[in-house]
Amino acid sequence: VKYVDEYRDPELGRAVRAELLAAVEPGRHYKVMEVCGGHTHSIYKYGVDDLLPDNVELVHGPGCPVCVIPMGRVDDGIALAHEPGVIFTCFGDMLRVPGSHGTLLDAKAQGADVRMVYSPLDALRIAKANPDREVIFFAIGFETTAPSTALTLKRAKAEGVTNFSCVCNHVTIVPPLRALLESPDLRLDGFIGPGHVCTVVGARPLGFIPADYGRPVVISGFEPLDILQSILMILRQIGEGRCEVENQYKRVVPFEGNLRALEVMSEVFAVRPHFEWRGLGFISYSGLRLSDAYADFDAERRHEVPGVRVADPKACQCGEVLKGVIKPWECKVFGTACTPEHAIGTCMVSPEGACAAYYNYGRFAHDRAVV
Amino acid sequence: MRVLQLDEDRGLALCETEDGQRRETVEIALVDARAGGLVLVHAGTAIA
Repeated sequence: VKYVDEYRDPELGRAVRAELLAAVEPGRHYKVMEVCGGHTHSIYKYGVDDLLPDNVELVHGPGCPVCVIPMGRVDDGIALAHEPGVIFTCFGDMLRVPGSHGTLLDAKAQGADVRMVYSPLDALRIAKANPDREVIFFAIGFETTAPSTALTLKRAKAEGVTNFSCVCNHVTIVPPLRALLESPDLRLDGFIGPGHVCTVVGARPLGFIPADYGRPVVISGFEPLDILQSILMILRQIGEGRCEVENQYKRVVPFEGNLRALEVMSEVFAVRPHFEWRGLGFISYSGLRLSDAYADFDAERRHEVPGVRVADPKACQCGEVLKGVIKPWECKVFGTACTPEHAIGTCMVSPEGACAAYYNYGRFAHDRAVV
Repeated sequence: MRVLQLDEDRGLALCETEDGQRRETVEIALVDARAGGLVLVHAGTAIA
């Protein structure tokens, strides 16, 4: 398959590994954060970390949209799903994210009309097919997904669909990265930049990382060779004393981003003064709500939602995993009380979550290493 | 995904994964899509 096979070539992988070995300084330990959950998934699926020099450590970041949804927002969704006449729609991963009293899947089992959709457009189709029902879409995701929600709301407005609304949980990537860089308990040497977020926002918003914090960033694709090459580019920047935003994913990411997507997002969304992230707490200007022009489509304005903040379960250490402070297998409940089938924490739900990715792929390599 | 058919009036396109396993109606308002071309699709919307 074009753009896939050539980025999974084992010979090229071995060649990049040799260059990585040559690029590191012996005795120095390098910590590189992959921001995006898609990268985390690829790293474990393809064993990218097994190809790295021993002194290069990958740290998983907060870029998994499902992982960062706080319990209180899930409870809000479940409350809406139980309202009479409502068809509640969401992406498949969200169905299994635990709230304080169960999941949306549990709500469905209890009789709520909860439906999985692949896109916001699917949710709008359901609304048009059920004009006597109120259809709510539970929107999650970073800047990669937000344009899709925005376009769907524009379409709903243009077509005069009045039984459709959206719970907006969209978040932006820069504020949590800044919060992580301000954190005293995390030392990072560089960042693998989120390729698909940057497809929308471009490279410029990540410029604060080298400018304000002196750390290199390489925007990366998602195939194993993309990630290996990006790590090599980071190590070369460090070795050469450079510090800038580089773009490894040029076949997709334009420097200025997708201007049409940014325009539609600015029309449909407004920035919230603060938004809660699971495990990370409230982060200023990190969440999006619907703009006043789209207030009629805002489920939080059209319906009563509990809006209660709920603390994470004590056993769950998703916060530390999302901040890169601990590895998935260092969590007290990893692989025992918390598994993909019975997740306690969000990081075990989505395939992009560090715990789920590690549980599904990485733990076997770890077990081999321990033996 | 590869664009099979454009419906420019509605801003949609019928697209297929490169392995031919799945077809999907995709929003194309954010890109310059053409029949036979490739688009990067996220949550039902072509973003590149």
